[in-house]
Amino acid sequence: MTANADKSYVLFPLGKKRFALPAEVVTELARPDSVQTFPHQTPLLSGVLVRRGRIVPVCDVAQVLVGPAAPPRKFYLIANCKRESLQELTAVPVTGECELASAPFAPLTGREPQYISGLLAIGEETIEIVVLEKLVSAEVPA
Amino acid sequence: MRLAAKTRIQPSPKAAREDVIVFLVGGFRFAISAAAVKEIRGMEGLHPFTLGGISGQIAKLKYTLERGGTTYFVVDAAQHFQLLPSRASRVLILRNSPAAVLVDSTDRIMEISALHALPRAFTHEERGWYRGLAVMNGTVVPVVNHHAFLNKAELEVLRAGLERVRGEVMA
Repeated sequence: MTANADKSYVLFPLGKKRFALPAEVVTELARPDSVQTFPHQTPLLSGVLVRRGRIVPVCDVAQVLVGPAAPPRKFYLIANCKRESLQELTAVPVTGECELASAPFAPLTGREPQYISGLLAIGEETIEIVVLEKLVSAEVPA
Repeated sequence: MRLAAKTRIQPSPKAAREDVIVFLVGGFRFAISAAAVKEIRGMEGLHPFTLGGISGQIAKLKYTLERGGTTYFVVDAAQHFQLLPSRASRVLILRNSPAAVLVDSTDRIMEISALHALPRAFTHEERGWYRGLAVMNGTVVPVVNHHAFLNKAELEVLRAGLERVRGEVMA
């Protein structure tokens, strides 16, 4: 199976692993900014950023994708996330520079979590394509 | 043929000028509509709330306060927002409500020019706690939903408990 040549992905690092988001949902890669916090009970959310007058929730998906040992996050990948028929910007902290790429698909094993929609094969590396909507509601492993 | 469901972009903040009182609890800053607050006072005159059975059901209810012939039920804001216990020093008496709120301190009255909806990414109790978010000098401050300090269900528990106690006294 090969990826559509027009389909691009933003590859983002979380520690030693890289993951992919469809490029069409990514709006920008932002420099570190001060995350502002207030009391809440939603898992994964570490606070909000103010970007161009909008309030953007920060969803620390590293806890789900690589566990608590992820190195400090350096940038925010800001992407559109669909919630109840509404597009909402969400900031995903990442640990390094991102890359735009198109690559052939690797076959799914069938054991992937629900938030993985496909695999990209880039050289020796297999990169999981994440579905942000499903990832942000995933449970944090104990 | 199925049509794809329309996806809307998140709405812009509602432009609405409103005076809010900024207060602090557990190191966090909150705002409450100034119109929702009848009075701000110190801790004097608070009586521990010990109504049999109810104290356990509504743990955040700490005191009662008699004011102008009305009994106010004083909610510990730190417990309401599920924060660690904090050093309360002020009481916000709410208007048109039997509730009052124990807070660490009050800061100032400010005018906000827009109320941002709480992002939908927030899905838990905070959806009831807040009316939205305000940006004050670059800082995001949640604007509290004052009706949530004692919600309808909690008021009903209180009402039933008080009626039960009155009945026992009459008997």
